[in-house]
Amino acid sequence: MTARVPVRFFLATLALLLPIACATPDGGPMTGKDLAGAVLGDYSIGGINLGAAVGVAKNANEAYREIPQDEEIEIGRSVSAALLGAAPLTVDAVQQNYVNRVGMWLALQSGRPDLPWHFGIIEAPTVNAFATPGGNVFVTRGLVERCGSEAELAGVLAHEIAHVVQKHQLNDIRKNAKQGLMINLASLKSGGLSGDAARAFARVGLEGYVRGLSREDELEADRIGVVIAARAGYEPYGLVMVLQTLQSLGPGDAEMAFFLKTHPSPSDRLAALEVAMPPSFEQLAEPNPALARYAPVFKPTRK
Amino acid sequence: MKRSMPSVVAVLFFWSALCSAEPAVSVRNFDLKQSPAGDAKAVATVAAGTVVDLVQRQGAWVQLTAGSDTGWTKLFDIKMGTGALAPAAKTSSLSGIAQTLNLATGRRDSSVTTGVRGLDAEMLKKAQPNPQEVTTLLGYASTADQAQAFANVGKLTPRAVELLKAEEPPKGAPAK
Repeated sequence: MTARVPVRFFLATLALLLPIACATPDGGPMTGKDLAGAVLGDYSIGGINLGAAVGVAKNANEAYREIPQDEEIEIGRSVSAALLGAAPLTVDAVQQNYVNRVGMWLALQSGRPDLPWHFGIIEAPTVNAFATPGGNVFVTRGLVERCGSEAELAGVLAHEIAHVVQKHQLNDIRKNAKQGLMINLASLKSGGLSGDAARAFARVGLEGYVRGLSREDELEADRIGVVIAARAGYEPYGLVMVLQTLQSLGPGDAEMAFFLKTHPSPSDRLAALEVAMPPSFEQLAEPNPALARYAPVFKPTRK
Repeated sequence: MKRSMPSVVAVLFFWSALCSAEPAVSVRNFDLKQSPAGDAKAVATVAAGTVVDLVQRQGAWVQLTAGSDTGWTKLFDIKMGTGALAPAAKTSSLSGIAQTLNLATGRRDSSVTTGVRGLDAEMLKKAQPNPQEVTTLLGYASTADQAQAFANVGKLTPRAVELLKAEEPPKGAPAK
């Protein structure tokens, strides 16, 4: 089971790589099998000869296809396994269930309500949140501790849901599959990974998380996120409040360093949201005493 | 002597009230209003860069104390914190704070292996897949029915809201 998913992810990634094939030395068109053979040789993973297996990846036309949802979900599981290898889930089941209720309720109001959505708090004191293709959303303990209310938590989760709905990470992986795969294959062939293919395949996806998404993708996720939160009945300013809190931490804060490297600055995002959010949103921000349920579970340090 | 006790209590109470207020800084000039409404009467004018205390939030509005004046303005008119730049040396002192936090909350402390770096680029690059944690993640999943019940208790009702247009902030908008 653990081997099957990465191999399929690998094949999906390789299929994306195929259109770069140009021509064989004798001038004939290079097939996917030729390319795979040239790159992979007889490299074998879990008893599967990949050089032969990718011959099934047919032709260049297929490489341009949209990635079907079931493959997107498998890619997301592989990337999630790698992310959770970097930092595991926190052990507080009450908080994990709470985050899944909030997240699923938001996702039901999004453009992709039918994905198998999963939400997790990961054990890291730093501030960050991640989404993978296929509907997995992670938020660090450091960020959850800085959310002062359920509306603020919802603002963060809705931003990540927006990334998944817009397939920002999936498109990023597709775009970078070629380069990432070549690097990983070099490691594989040099024996550096001793046949543990899962690490290499997940890394194709993880490189995007090290680099971060584009500023445009982040600002779009902000705009869509506040709308998802508002559609779910939350007041739409939760994300704004979180960004204000993060802004106050400042660039010298070690817990913010990686977040700031991979995102536009909170000031930049706040300026864009102020322009984008219409005055009519103020009518969607009535106080909701029922959300006082948040405090006993998450014990925020501020209101 | 007998009268000193109540005054100590009063001072402590006042002190705790002071501590609970959050510092913020005005990012532009604005009028402090009597109530959270655009047509409310202005009670004072606050200049950009003034350190204020956030009393409470109400949707798009915040109640502030600026000097001797208290009133309301828009959330976007302020930024949290005192505006002082965090010193670069804070990096080293954070380890103590982060560890204290972990100890104080009694949460599982991964700092044994990761230090205070938490999740960063190096850790992502070195990560070994952990399929067992994915299984745990799947176990926390909420069904649509559970989410609906949760929303009902939280008085959350779906509503129609239009998507927002992409617009760059005008030149000269407060960028930092």
